[in-house]
Amino acid sequence: MLGVLRVYLGPLKWQVAGLATLLLTSTGLNLLLPQLLRTFVDSAKLGAGADVGLLARLAGFYILLAIGVQLMTAGATYVGARVGWTATNRLRVDLMAHLLSLDMREHKERTPGEMIERIDGDVTALSNFFSQFAVRVFGAALLLIGALFMFFREDWRVGAGVTLFTLGTLLAMNRVRKLGVEPTRVERESSAKLFGFVEERLAGLEDIRSLGAGGHHLNGFLRTQRAFFTNSVYSWRRRSVVWQLSMALFAIGYVGVLATAVGLYAAGTITLGTAFLLYNYMSLVEEPIDQLTQQLQELQKAGASLFRVGEILALRSAIHGGNLELPEDGALSLDFQDVSFSYSPDEPELRGVLYGVSFHLPAGQTLGLLGRTGSGKTTLTRLISRLYDATSGSVRLGGTNVQDADLHGLRRRVAVVTQDVQLFQASVRDNLSFFDPQISDEEVEAALNEVGLGTWLSRLGDGVHTPLPTGSLSAGEAQLLAFARVMLRDPAVIILDEPSSRLDPATEALLNAAMTRLLSGRTAIIIAHRLDTVARADRILVLGGGQVLEDGPRAALARDPRSHYAELLRAGTLEQEGEGVLA
Amino acid sequence: MTAVPTSKPSTTPDRTFALTKRLFVYRPGLFVFNLLMWGLFHTAPALITLAVSRVFGQLDAAEVLRKGGQSVAPAIAGAWIFVGWFALVRAGRFGIFYGAFRAFIEIWYTLDALLRRNLLGYLLTARGSRRLPDTPAEAVSRFRDDVEDVAGYIEVWIDSLGILVFSLVAITLMARVDPMITLLVCAPLLLMVAFVQKLSPTIRAYRRRMREATARVTDFVGETFGAVSAVKLAAREDGMVAHLKKLGETRRHAALRDVLLTELIRGVNSNMVNIAVGLVLLLGANKIRGGALEVADFVLFIGLLPRLTGSMGFFGDAIARHRRTGVSYDRMTRLLQDAPDTDIVAHHPTYLHAEPPVPPAAPPELPLEELRVSGLTATFESGLGVRNASFTVRQGEFVVVTGRIGSGKSTLLRALLGLIPAQAGTVQWNGQPVEDPASFLVPPRTAYTSQIPSLFSDSLRENVLSGSGEDRLGRAVRLAVLEPDLAQLPQGLDTPVGARGVKLSGGQMQRTAVARMLARDADLLVFDDVSSALDARTEAQLWDGLFAETDATCLVVSHRRAALSRADRIVLMQDGRIVDGGTLEQLLGRSAEMRALWAEDEQS
Repeated sequence: MLGVLRVYLGPLKWQVAGLATLLLTSTGLNLLLPQLLRTFVDSAKLGAGADVGLLARLAGFYILLAIGVQLMTAGATYVGARVGWTATNRLRVDLMAHLLSLDMREHKERTPGEMIERIDGDVTALSNFFSQFAVRVFGAALLLIGALFMFFREDWRVGAGVTLFTLGTLLAMNRVRKLGVEPTRVERESSAKLFGFVEERLAGLEDIRSLGAGGHHLNGFLRTQRAFFTNSVYSWRRRSVVWQLSMALFAIGYVGVLATAVGLYAAGTITLGTAFLLYNYMSLVEEPIDQLTQQLQELQKAGASLFRVGEILALRSAIHGGNLELPEDGALSLDFQDVSFSYSPDEPELRGVLYGVSFHLPAGQTLGLLGRTGSGKTTLTRLISRLYDATSGSVRLGGTNVQDADLHGLRRRVAVVTQDVQLFQASVRDNLSFFDPQISDEEVEAALNEVGLGTWLSRLGDGVHTPLPTGSLSAGEAQLLAFARVMLRDPAVIILDEPSSRLDPATEALLNAAMTRLLSGRTAIIIAHRLDTVARADRILVLGGGQVLEDGPRAALARDPRSHYAELLRAGTLEQEGEGVLA
Repeated sequence: MTAVPTSKPSTTPDRTFALTKRLFVYRPGLFVFNLLMWGLFHTAPALITLAVSRVFGQLDAAEVLRKGGQSVAPAIAGAWIFVGWFALVRAGRFGIFYGAFRAFIEIWYTLDALLRRNLLGYLLTARGSRRLPDTPAEAVSRFRDDVEDVAGYIEVWIDSLGILVFSLVAITLMARVDPMITLLVCAPLLLMVAFVQKLSPTIRAYRRRMREATARVTDFVGETFGAVSAVKLAAREDGMVAHLKKLGETRRHAALRDVLLTELIRGVNSNMVNIAVGLVLLLGANKIRGGALEVADFVLFIGLLPRLTGSMGFFGDAIARHRRTGVSYDRMTRLLQDAPDTDIVAHHPTYLHAEPPVPPAAPPELPLEELRVSGLTATFESGLGVRNASFTVRQGEFVVVTGRIGSGKSTLLRALLGLIPAQAGTVQWNGQPVEDPASFLVPPRTAYTSQIPSLFSDSLRENVLSGSGEDRLGRAVRLAVLEPDLAQLPQGLDTPVGARGVKLSGGQMQRTAVARMLARDADLLVFDDVSSALDARTEAQLWDGLFAETDATCLVVSHRRAALSRADRIVLMQDGRIVDGGTLEQLLGRSAEMRALWAEDEQS
């Protein structure tokens, strides 16, 4: 916990120092105020004999000090908030960077709604802690120590008594506070679940409504919400024990001080003014202890959040980059050597996806990858860009094992277009450039023109700065945008995962020319259900049940009447519909 | 990601209160109990201060007795009595807090739950087409932040009775001592409240900017992780993080302004007390000599002033809260679009302590004879869409809608089903006009699978059933050709599909969605280009199975020959209009566009 504080508050040390100065000064002034009151009361009780001039001066001085305290508190609040926001913004950025660095196995477990809760919800709970911890806790501690010191100055026995009381109270509260930590964690977890549930349903609103399943999902929501309600109420009750304890203890404390004041006065040990002073200083003890308790509350929430942040930061990607650089220029050859893969290697009883896959794809050639749904085509390509790592065997790019290559460099050189195009609700250019300001508008326009979206672009009101009209974007247009994304890069290897599946044939023709330009001089893998899509391939590889059924030059396979490919071609031409049926 | 500022300045102060009033009476007993308990809790300090003032009054009297050379014993005894009174009230207040707090948590979370239930319930089940004005991630902040705001406002109302009573008691006690000083001390406090009131529009504007900046951040995070594989595959993590940094910076500025103003007001409020005390001293200095003001009176003033200032601050804050809540209601209303705003606070059971009942049964069957669409027009702001579309589907037919990308095929289906609003045109079911397609064209009449279906993080079984009876599972899974996939999945039908179904492949998601549709047993099945994620054999299996085992009528968007050649009729679209319709043979004979589409598919 302190480690995180140091990392994120360290760079702001000057602001923190300024904050401390403001707090110290205002605390000192705060302690002076009751002294003025005592003098006033002791002078006032003289009644007719009181010195009005002195009283008025005391009053004026009191007002001046009060204004000073006010200004300094305002200053401290502002500086505190500034520190808090700066620190937590950094934490958010670090969390996002860390989460993005995790491998896909992690991401599959979490909804985007949950990510929002983790990156923003938890950190905002921390934000209060960061921004107010310094102001409140530090300020409160100062005031508390000052007030105790003042008690000692008046009467050491009273001082000792109040100090014991304070220590006892703080200890008791600290102990009780721990009751709330675990329920708070559970509460935040069910809150993340609740909002994750809502987010998913809102994203799938059309599907739910058109299937008339609204009532069913509403019930699911009510159940999730009931769990959230139960956990929240329980966790508030546990947390509130701290306040209840504080109220009880302070009732005792105040009664004690008031009784002491009356007792000492009756014994003639102190003046009336001092009796009043003692009572007043008690409120200077109560306030900071109250503050500290409240901050303990924040501390609890922050502790739970920090725990979750720590949990995330402790997650490690199973996929680590190596330090070899891939060759800078030109196409790269691709080799699979006896590659096997399973999504859950720890459970050997489950079927794997790939078994002993070996093949060689020379640099600059295009491989057509064929196979039935579920034969492992997409999985095979995921191993190249290392969304997953092979369970055994090796994947080599330009002779370098991809597991030894620098991960960032590897992904920059391998471009993947999948059938599911993921778009952002942002401008066209941000969608293509992934918010990279370095890429110029002209480059984006050129890429769009190249994939045949020139006319589409010209219809947009604000050019590439137009927010992407996701609602009215067809899947085909989305696919073309994904091509434009690749056009913006200069990859050595291109993987097209069923690129034309959502394109109508007429639009697909538009893309063919651009595709030819894109693929020339690069190594490429094209996955397709349809034979015409792989007609441009140099080689053909047929996968079946996770194994290589056939691998060879396309022309040679087409000529060999016994090959799977030739069989597919025959089936394709034999069939009325002109589509290949894959073995 | 662009958060459009609220355009409807519809919240009148009355509306904010009127809506909240409906919430109060959701659990009237609980609300009244809260008012009473918190009323007692907030009033108690006046009694406590009175006791302390009496203690010092007695001590002051002892001082006089001592000077007069008399015994101080009676005065000291009096002081002890008031110390006892003080102890009693403090103990009582502790007991009240225990009950009050529990009651408050209960009402707070209950009303939160009601608001959320109403928002989601309307979006899921109301008539008419429902489109979110923003991204789902941003809409979630309506469910989270705005609901919280309303709850905070309820807290204000629950506290206000007690604080008002306290203020009245305090002012009365003080005025009985010296009305002039009371007036002069309270005047600046009232000025404070007026000042805060004046600042309200600024607070509101700051608040809105802060919210928008926050929404941009949460939206961006949601979208980034929604597209996490694309980001990772493109190695663009750094760019995304840099963008978050930029958005965070904007948000920090907005937040600091909001915090600064709010905290300034709060700070001024809480420190006002010292200035007020100073004023009492200053004004009292003169009166002391005449003996018009005693120590007990000072103690009373000095004891009551902090809480009185706090109360004034509370009312100032309440005004600000009121405005913020108005903004929150505005935003929730905008989310629900055409709903009357009273729907947000309507009374429905929230089932916080019991299992919700089975949802209402599907609407009655009305076996399809003929679906007729005439003059349907649905355009987007960009001008794209569908114009003046008319066609008919008869019982048992297999009708294919085809055309190029952007020709409006999907839009046609979605407008027909009422998923997006249509500007003109009618839909007739068996000759009867359908008034609200969104609620009429659902199972058992129609069922629909979208181009990119949404699945939910739950088991595969739950995704397929979505509330349908278990008995329909087997046939739906078989017809959707999902059985081979089940063999591959570790836990079969009980496999969790992950967030939005990411654990499944594209084809598996599509087939799951088809199975989900088939499990609903509808007359008319509407497929939006499902074949795109299926290979040819699977697709053929799907159609063959449907023909063999059901007598369902199908309306299918496709450009694949597998579908086109099976079609009883083809609807050909170009640039948002239906340009031709007929059998494949007829269309190939007379339409160049059809020949182009057909020919492209043949090329290999």
